[in-house]
Amino acid sequence: MKYQPRAIIAELTHRCPLHCVYCSNPIEMQRRSAELSTADWISIFQQAGEMGVLQLHLTGGEPLARTDLTELVRAGRAARLYLNLITSGVGLSESRLDALIEAGLDHIQLSFQDSEEEAANEIAGSRSHAVKLRIAAMIRERRIAFTVNMVVHRHNLDRLEDMIAFAEQSGAHRLEIANVQYYGWALRNREALLPTRDQLDRSVEIVEAACQRLQGRLRIEFVLPDYYAKYPKPCMNGWGHQQMLIDPAGRVLPCHAAPVIPGLEFFSARERPLQWIWEDSPAFNRFRDESWMPEPCRSCDRRTRDFGGCRCQAFLLTADAAATDPVCTLAPTHGIIEEALQQVKARSSVDQGWIYRIDPL
Amino acid sequence: MSELPQGRTLRLAPGCRLNDPGGPEELLLVPEGALRLKGPGRAIVELCDGERSLGDIIEELKRRYPDEDGTRIEAEVVAFLTRLRDRGVLEFV
Repeated sequence: MKYQPRAIIAELTHRCPLHCVYCSNPIEMQRRSAELSTADWISIFQQAGEMGVLQLHLTGGEPLARTDLTELVRAGRAARLYLNLITSGVGLSESRLDALIEAGLDHIQLSFQDSEEEAANEIAGSRSHAVKLRIAAMIRERRIAFTVNMVVHRHNLDRLEDMIAFAEQSGAHRLEIANVQYYGWALRNREALLPTRDQLDRSVEIVEAACQRLQGRLRIEFVLPDYYAKYPKPCMNGWGHQQMLIDPAGRVLPCHAAPVIPGLEFFSARERPLQWIWEDSPAFNRFRDESWMPEPCRSCDRRTRDFGGCRCQAFLLTADAAATDPVCTLAPTHGIIEEALQQVKARSSVDQGWIYRIDPL
Repeated sequence: MSELPQGRTLRLAPGCRLNDPGGPEELLLVPEGALRLKGPGRAIVELCDGERSLGDIIEELKRRYPDEDGTRIEAEVVAFLTRLRDRGVLEFV
């Protein structure tokens, strides 16, 4: 296999008790009645193990909304995969956590919206912060790898030091500080979420100091917002290079946002073998090599490092999925990003209401 | 970086484990991905079993590789385990 898949992101369901304004789920969500069965998922995990996939990220929506989660973890582990649960924690109990660990769960990533309860609940559109605090305590009493994930944006970036202290007290081994990425629901709320340049510069200094201070105690990973970058992010480490995402209905995708790109046919793991979809389906090969690249990517030294950036972002912002990612300062369409950042700068306060993520039927 | 503690036993941190043996690659699986192990890497990680100290591990490897220079074994094991410790992969019990 020229491109060896390393990780599968399994969106087990789009159902979720939270309604975060930057949810990475698509605007068009899969309904409960379309969700894969337990046996469907187990077959996918077995195929993945045989293909040499190493990591299985169980996410959603809220994966705990699946009552068969423990069974799925056990099956993933039996297929020799490393099991990571990405969760809001809502729906977890002591006994359920013990069962998941016993079934072979390797790592839990618990998301927080803020270090302050009121602000966190506003972003989540639900009173979930206090529940998460109880879940964090439950996790740290057990021997399992524990990451706290904090999504940052204009409204909470000024509290970054508090959020780092919060993660430190939570007993987590790792802290992931992720700037919002502008797809789906987040793109709808972009005007209110984009941080200012000053906020961003300060956050970089704060994270650097915290990494020094917490060395050996808490590992920090920091995802910068690509709108302020000079060059684009190597999205998914390349289209169809290492990772695939499977949505609740079994559609196999190169990334969570790929269905926004028109003209691509995505197959379901219900109807085709995973290996065929990965290796031979046209959608996975569409942007895999360099043949699709326009200038300036085609002759750029960075093309093997960032692969021209994100195809979905290119489509969402320029209406052409085969354009250079507009966040790249070399892109002919970079003015789109500059304009968005100018608007952020011009606005002193944000009074826009949120568009909350809805829950599928 | 600081030195490894001498008297305590070593084991893998939660969420870190070796892949199943017999595959095409020797890997140490960790929350962020996987670390590729070369040479005796897997054997050294297997000795981090919560029973052995750093000294025990070095002694065991000297016993297994009697033809190798003992000083070199010691230096390489310390360097390798220091890297793993700094990566958050090891616990000292």
